[in-house]
Amino acid sequence: MAKAMKKAKKAPKSAAKSSKKVKIDPITMDVIENALKNARFEMDATLFRTSVSPSIREQHDEFPIIADPEGRMLVGQFGSWLGDLYKHFPDPIDDGDVIFTNDPYMCGGTISHLNDWLIQMPIHYKGRLVGWTSMFGHQNDTGGPVPSSLPTDATTIFGEALRIPPFKLYEGGILNDVALNIILANVRQPEMNRADLMALVAACRTGAQRIRDLCRRFGTDTYLAGTQALMQRTYNAMKSLISQVIPEEPQDFEDYVDDDGRGFGPYKVKVTIWRKGDKAYFDYTGTDPQSEGPINYYLNEHLLKMFIGVYLIMTHDPWILFNDGFYPLVDIHIPEGTLLKPHHPAALSCRTHLLGRQFDILGGALCKKAPQFLTGAGWGSSPHMIYSGYDADGKWFNAFEIGFGGIPARPFADGMDGHAMWPLFTNQPAELMETYYPMRVEAYTSVIDSGGAGYHRGGNGLLKVYHFLAEGEVSIHDDRWLTYQWGVNGGSKAMRGKKWLKKVDGSIEYVASKCDHVKVFPGDELFYQTWGAGGYGDPLTRETARVQKDVRFRLVSPEKARDEYGVVLDAKFVVDEEATKKLRADIASKRGPAKPFDMGPPLAEILKNCKAETGLEPPKPPVFKQIVKMPIYKSKPSMSKLVLKKRVA
Amino acid sequence: MGYRLGIDVGGTFTDLLLFHEETGRIWRAKTPSTPADQSIGVLAGINQVCERAGISRDAIDSIIHGTTVGTNAVLEGKGGRVGLITTIGFEQILHLARGQTPGPLAGWMIMMKPDPRASLEDTVEAHERMDARGRTVRDLDEADIRAKIQGLAERGVESLTISLINSFANPAHEYRIRDIAKEVAPRLPVTCSYDVLPQFREYERAETAVLNSYIRPNVSRYLHNLESKLKSAKLKAILNVLRSDGGLMSVAAAEDKPVNLLMSGPSGGVTGALFIANKCGFPNVMTFDMGGTSTDVSLNQGEASIGRETNIATFASQNTVLPIKVASVDVRTIGAGGGSIAHVPALTKALRIGPMSAGADPGPACYGKGGTAPTVTDANVVLGHLPPQLLGGKMKLDIEKAEAAVRTVGDAIGLDVYEAAQGIIKIVNESMCGALRLVSVERGHDPRDFALVAFGGAGPLHGNALGAIMGSWPVIVPPAPGVLCALGDVSSEYRNEFTRTFTFTVDKTTPEDVVEAISELGKKASLWLTSEGITGKAQHIRYEADVRYYRQGYELPIVVNPEKLLKGFSPLVNEFHRTHQRLYQFNMDVEVEIVNLRAIGIGKTKRIKLARKKKGKPDPKSAVSGSHKVYFDGSWLETKVYDRAKLSPGHVVKGPAIVLEEDSTTLIHPKHKGVVDEYANILIYPAGK
Repeated sequence: MAKAMKKAKKAPKSAAKSSKKVKIDPITMDVIENALKNARFEMDATLFRTSVSPSIREQHDEFPIIADPEGRMLVGQFGSWLGDLYKHFPDPIDDGDVIFTNDPYMCGGTISHLNDWLIQMPIHYKGRLVGWTSMFGHQNDTGGPVPSSLPTDATTIFGEALRIPPFKLYEGGILNDVALNIILANVRQPEMNRADLMALVAACRTGAQRIRDLCRRFGTDTYLAGTQALMQRTYNAMKSLISQVIPEEPQDFEDYVDDDGRGFGPYKVKVTIWRKGDKAYFDYTGTDPQSEGPINYYLNEHLLKMFIGVYLIMTHDPWILFNDGFYPLVDIHIPEGTLLKPHHPAALSCRTHLLGRQFDILGGALCKKAPQFLTGAGWGSSPHMIYSGYDADGKWFNAFEIGFGGIPARPFADGMDGHAMWPLFTNQPAELMETYYPMRVEAYTSVIDSGGAGYHRGGNGLLKVYHFLAEGEVSIHDDRWLTYQWGVNGGSKAMRGKKWLKKVDGSIEYVASKCDHVKVFPGDELFYQTWGAGGYGDPLTRETARVQKDVRFRLVSPEKARDEYGVVLDAKFVVDEEATKKLRADIASKRGPAKPFDMGPPLAEILKNCKAETGLEPPKPPVFKQIVKMPIYKSKPSMSKLVLKKRVA
Repeated sequence: MGYRLGIDVGGTFTDLLLFHEETGRIWRAKTPSTPADQSIGVLAGINQVCERAGISRDAIDSIIHGTTVGTNAVLEGKGGRVGLITTIGFEQILHLARGQTPGPLAGWMIMMKPDPRASLEDTVEAHERMDARGRTVRDLDEADIRAKIQGLAERGVESLTISLINSFANPAHEYRIRDIAKEVAPRLPVTCSYDVLPQFREYERAETAVLNSYIRPNVSRYLHNLESKLKSAKLKAILNVLRSDGGLMSVAAAEDKPVNLLMSGPSGGVTGALFIANKCGFPNVMTFDMGGTSTDVSLNQGEASIGRETNIATFASQNTVLPIKVASVDVRTIGAGGGSIAHVPALTKALRIGPMSAGADPGPACYGKGGTAPTVTDANVVLGHLPPQLLGGKMKLDIEKAEAAVRTVGDAIGLDVYEAAQGIIKIVNESMCGALRLVSVERGHDPRDFALVAFGGAGPLHGNALGAIMGSWPVIVPPAPGVLCALGDVSSEYRNEFTRTFTFTVDKTTPEDVVEAISELGKKASLWLTSEGITGKAQHIRYEADVRYYRQGYELPIVVNPEKLLKGFSPLVNEFHRTHQRLYQFNMDVEVEIVNLRAIGIGKTKRIKLARKKKGKPDPKSAVSGSHKVYFDGSWLETKVYDRAKLSPGHVVKGPAIVLEEDSTTLIHPKHKGVVDEYANILIYPAGK
């Protein structure tokens, strides 16, 4: 018996390969699937209860996964490709080890900027590797030159924040407090980071425990066979989905990120999609070269596959449980040295705009030939507002908030006003912000008429008004202030976002979409207005009762109801059906047939009118330089391990 | 002190339990429910139970009633028309909510968002502002709000809610607007958010206050009707209502804050289950109440765990819930029950259960009322868990229809009808375990340290299987699930909480300030109890502080003794560190923050004594009513069927076995046994234990 145990401990790391062939019945498979889902929600619950930073606990900017022994996601909310991380780790990873990193370049883009702190943990049962849990969460601050660590003017990753290469935060269950001390000495609110980090570890441990419970219940071989069968099931489902919805003839789509924070833009992203046999091809040739500014998005191919899969599933069959099983069906090509695969050490911190934009272009390209599944554009950005300084007690504060915009009109319904594109995110209550930071929130409302008109209306953007009570600095991260959120199938483009500062003396200053070090003083007010989302279908066909309801609810103005929906209302908002019929016919004859995409005026015209329309200077055309690739540092094998081995010997 | 009557109105039956306080005797009655006017069934039941006890109706002193009328108004979207007054700049507070869309990524694509309970058209803004410390930033514009209230009243609003920014810190403006509303529209009931939930986070407070207004007309109508029917039937009893937190309150209090009734139904079950579990000597229990469309689970240690957020799903949407922040028994509800439909999506060929439900109409295929979709109940019929005769012979189950329905699922995944039925049961059990794990393991408890009380229409069918997966023994199956709730009603005490937000780190306040504030709440609790007729020694006041690390997202309630607290914060702080360590395996080196202070007023009622029968011989053969084939893990086993009414204390029923009673069926698995205790509960254990 003891001998057998010893043997088990020496079992090869890749347990899946050594698994006995176990035949798995469909019911056990479904039971395991349910158990995995439960485990994943337990991970979230543990994190929310114990984390401290508002971005994680109030806004839920965190992403858990449970993976198989190869690092492939079995269940999760966003996924990451763990294999890239553990396969390049210089030391063996054993039971009780916890890997920690925040460096996109050292984990193949599993995470994509330094604010995301990633924990990865092997799960062992009876000495055998049975899987991994992992979770990352956005830290309020991770050091570097500006509070919240997203400098808009950085030109390399060295200028952004503290880089943490993958290392063992815990080795055999023992905390590496030396390394942790060095890290925490480099961030502005060390206790907050420490708590969030420990909360991530606690959540991963919860997930790991559930997987061990499953191995005990079903036997390790059955559990592992079940997970492989689940992957196969998703593979089969996606195979038929891909052959149904992706045409063989190439479809391309392109869109822009407005600027890079350094005054250059817009930058183009392009994708071409086609199918050959069972396999779908996604080619990003035509995407602009990398930017000198921090908007580059180092996109992991596996992650992108997951985005694609989620998109197909949500538009076509939300019942499919999502896992990594279908990856062999998708082939990705991203040219090196571009915005989506920049050479090290390109700056990455403000990648959020491109991260969002690629969802828009994916949606556009995937559904170009199946317009009934299209939605309007909605991934304007993930708008950030950061406010830091010293409060009346002389205490440092650093407020960080992720805002929302309009949700796109969908084939079956309007888009929501002022909701999150990110799953399960929530806003920060005004009362919470006012309790903890020297500010008042004077308004939180959606912006009338900002959603694109359509048979289904695009969601309105948000206006949040911050009244500052202490001297400090503000940073802003946003996009779609220049180009438009497009509408589809006859639906209209939406209103763009804008930001302005109403100084205490009453003067107005327009604020750029990506900037740091905006000085504010007590009594100054920041008006942060985000973009609406695109509409779906011809607005002239929208039922008059729905237009009337929007007007009564003050979500659409009577003027827009008349001009874009062709609906005539009296002072009490009663519809004049006769006048409406006439007006609609009139507008239709002048306008001609509805356009498949409404992107707004041509780019040249947008740039020409920029100053007059937005109050801001237009960005200069990007200058692309020859970039030299700097080698990425590779961690050396741990000395402590060697010393330990020697001592044991 | 004389007779107390508990009434539970269920979907099918109305159960009554009469308790004589001097002798401790109890009598039961059961009548069919009358959904169109529930008071008809209630009165029929009262007549029946009085007859059995040999007393006249006017001998009953108090009636305690658990009701689902508030919950149903929300679930069916049939509440009143609510007007809402917010601070300027926040009129879309309900429309925007917390901005959440469901997971996973791109979950927004499938989200359906129902309209708020107070329409934007009926929402107006008050010109005023408080800051987060309760200081006035801008005075209230009274003329403006007076005109707006007038407008709302003219438009036909039936109930008014005032929810202003930072009112948790100072309700002066809310109260002033309430007074103006009383002048302008004296008949309009008004809810101030401060009175319902004086805590920060404006959306949750507004949503909770609006919901209070929304169900107010329904609850009010219902309780008035019941009261007047009771009066005209010459009953002198005081009518009390069971609150969500398992406490009692008067009809007047219920009308004022009906939001406290949202979980009244489940709380009766939990209170009753706990009462029984404590009697059996198992104070640590999880409750498992499985009904037709949903299942409630909870974890309790001696007394009911109280949570302070309830997620209510709305009728219009399965992926949107309303977070209602009131104290209630801490049950987790999942949308799976006997009526949940099994289906196989074409692309994956996976077997999925729910979220669709066959409901009561047409119901499961086996009911023969036109349903063809395979439900969990149909799977139980196919496997023989549920014998074809239900409800004491009044209703026959159609095995062929059940098999035909389940076969559709089996064909789709390539399994025979029995394997498919077995699969449906296994998967639904797994979802139930997920819910049980979230109330146990997630909160740092080992489920093996807890017994499991299984009740509700389908609970006793699934309880044994869950006990086996969770390692929770014994599985306690009390007699008659409806009676359990009525028992919960009569065994409950008066209870109400008074909470306010405090938000100071311990270095920024003094023990004196905290004690002063919490004593103030204690006085309120005492006054409330007095107003409910509870005085002197019957009054118990308990104090709690919700504590967390500075800026942490959630608080832990820590019990406070005001006298000890005056000596310093360290016992409170240490207790918080200990609790945090137990739950989350780490502590932090940051200031500890007190977020809410709370006084809980408890009015003791006389304890119920359950009749206890002496244990007899273990052989239960006198209760055998027949035999029946049941499918367990791939084979058919001859299984004895017992009549629960004939089982008596001391009997040991060996699995496999089926125990029948009027409104529920208990399944005992092979290699398990059911022991009948002195109170007629069945305690299921593994055979070797």
